[in-house]
Amino acid sequence: MSRLRKEQLVGLLMVSPALILLAVFFLYPLVNSFYMSFHKWPLFGKPKWVGLDNYIFMFQDERFWESLKFTFVYTLTVTPMLFVVAIGTALLCNAKAWGTTFFRSIYFLPVVMSFATASYVWLWLYSEMYGVIVYALEFFGFGGENKNLNVWKTGTSSMWAVNAMVTWKFSGIQMIILIAGLQAIRDDYYEASKLMGASRWQTIWNVTLPLLRPSIALALILSIAGSIQAYEQFVIMTRGGPSNSTKTLVMHTVDMGFDYFKLGPAASLGVIIMIILFVLTVIQLRLFRKNY
Amino acid sequence: MQKYKTDWYLYYLINVTFIVLVSFPIYWAFVSSIKPPDELITNTPTLFPINPTFESYERIWNLEPTSSRGNVRSAFTNSAIVSIGTVVVSAVISTLAAYALTILRTPFRHFIFLLIIMPILIPGISLLIPLYKLVKELGLMNSYLGLILIHSTGMLTLGVFLMRNAFMSIPTSLREVALLEGSSELRIMFTVMLPLAIPGLLTLMVFALYGSWNDFILAFLFVNTIDMEMLNVFLMKLTFAGSQFDTFWGLLNAGAIISFVPIIIFYIFLQQYFVRGVTGSAVKE
Repeated sequence: MSRLRKEQLVGLLMVSPALILLAVFFLYPLVNSFYMSFHKWPLFGKPKWVGLDNYIFMFQDERFWESLKFTFVYTLTVTPMLFVVAIGTALLCNAKAWGTTFFRSIYFLPVVMSFATASYVWLWLYSEMYGVIVYALEFFGFGGENKNLNVWKTGTSSMWAVNAMVTWKFSGIQMIILIAGLQAIRDDYYEASKLMGASRWQTIWNVTLPLLRPSIALALILSIAGSIQAYEQFVIMTRGGPSNSTKTLVMHTVDMGFDYFKLGPAASLGVIIMIILFVLTVIQLRLFRKNY
Repeated sequence: MQKYKTDWYLYYLINVTFIVLVSFPIYWAFVSSIKPPDELITNTPTLFPINPTFESYERIWNLEPTSSRGNVRSAFTNSAIVSIGTVVVSAVISTLAAYALTILRTPFRHFIFLLIIMPILIPGISLLIPLYKLVKELGLMNSYLGLILIHSTGMLTLGVFLMRNAFMSIPTSLREVALLEGSSELRIMFTVMLPLAIPGLLTLMVFALYGSWNDFILAFLFVNTIDMEMLNVFLMKLTFAGSQFDTFWGLLNAGAIISFVPIIIFYIFLQQYFVRGVTGSAVKE
């Protein structure tokens, strides 16, 4: 066997475990998710071709529209919260000052915790009777005398409560992306701005932020894509309640597939989520290509 | 970069405020886990525990399984096995694949690389239903292997990407010299190339650990027996069982700390690789 032949063979052997994993746990489910969404899946017997029935069923289901709406409201509210904290901490960590590495590692710390664990920790912070947040609010004169500040009472307050947790837990990721962008900005820009007598805020607004646009776009897209996949924080903290007002798209999909055993409609929901995320990722990659 | 000259004290004031806000929930979970119940369940919380005790840890550690949930010892072991398995399997598979695609003249390597980075476009969460069906058909429900293989597939894109970058930065002459000496390809990979790719490998392993230890949804959907329950799901069941009894919050905080400690230890020692992985996964192209 020639050297090239041998090398080709060894290469194929080495890449084959990865290809097998990819074929079994990614490509097959990918193809199957379309197949499943066009079939009816009875508990017993063979699947039956039903065309677009699953999609029609899903679109006629009020719960789908409610979960879609909630997922969008959640995404639109949590994204600005995450961004404001991320850009603030990123600017703080990018200063020429002593201790920035330490600050950065503290601001990133909550990212390391799992969403599930963060949810348990915040459930205790929010505890209606003995939670420290309720205590602090009362200490500063909010919440009334009868010790009853239940953040889980309405859908809106539940969402803001989860948003606060997610902002705490996740802004570190975007901070890192923004810091990487900030570090790529050359010092001359700041010096020129200084020579022209700009104040610090003017410099941030007119020099830093415009030059940071590609990183900002990337951070925003990541936040939007991540929020559309929201699942465990709501499963654990609100359980979709009160009265299903905080059900996300993924929760609705899981309900359909695992609680009601409606595999066809659940698969079609998966396809819808796939399309939304696909579009977002294509935009993300486009932005990235164009700007770097 | 900007300098803070005249108002440096303001800069540090803002940072200190932020540090307190960011670390407070973690601090609070920790002090709550070492408070005795009567100090925990009170209308005037104490910032520092007056009578610190490991009661809650003892209690959660010795909690007996019920018909609806397991216990923390087996849940911790299960999560640890899946995490270690994922780290090993994804490190081996991604390294082999990246080596074949960057160093060797593997046929169709450009096409294969495109296939491997394809999951960027289609996040795994949209494949839950067909994945569930597949796992059931393969008999991989309630198995370590099922979770390890799915996590490793999820790590493949970032893993191959990181290892590819690492291998590409090594001069090819190193391998050629070793080839002339008559070493086998695997031997060259392990003894010559891999030692130079350690930072990439560590980033990959840190992220495999992070993804599998912190996972909730796969552990929740693909495990339904009590003896295979994973740590995060065990804690959820504990939460849902309710707060009727006054030891509950102590237990939950102790549980949260137990699930956080392993990952924070890695964060303290391998912090730069966490950061590298974040920028790497956002900038996969």
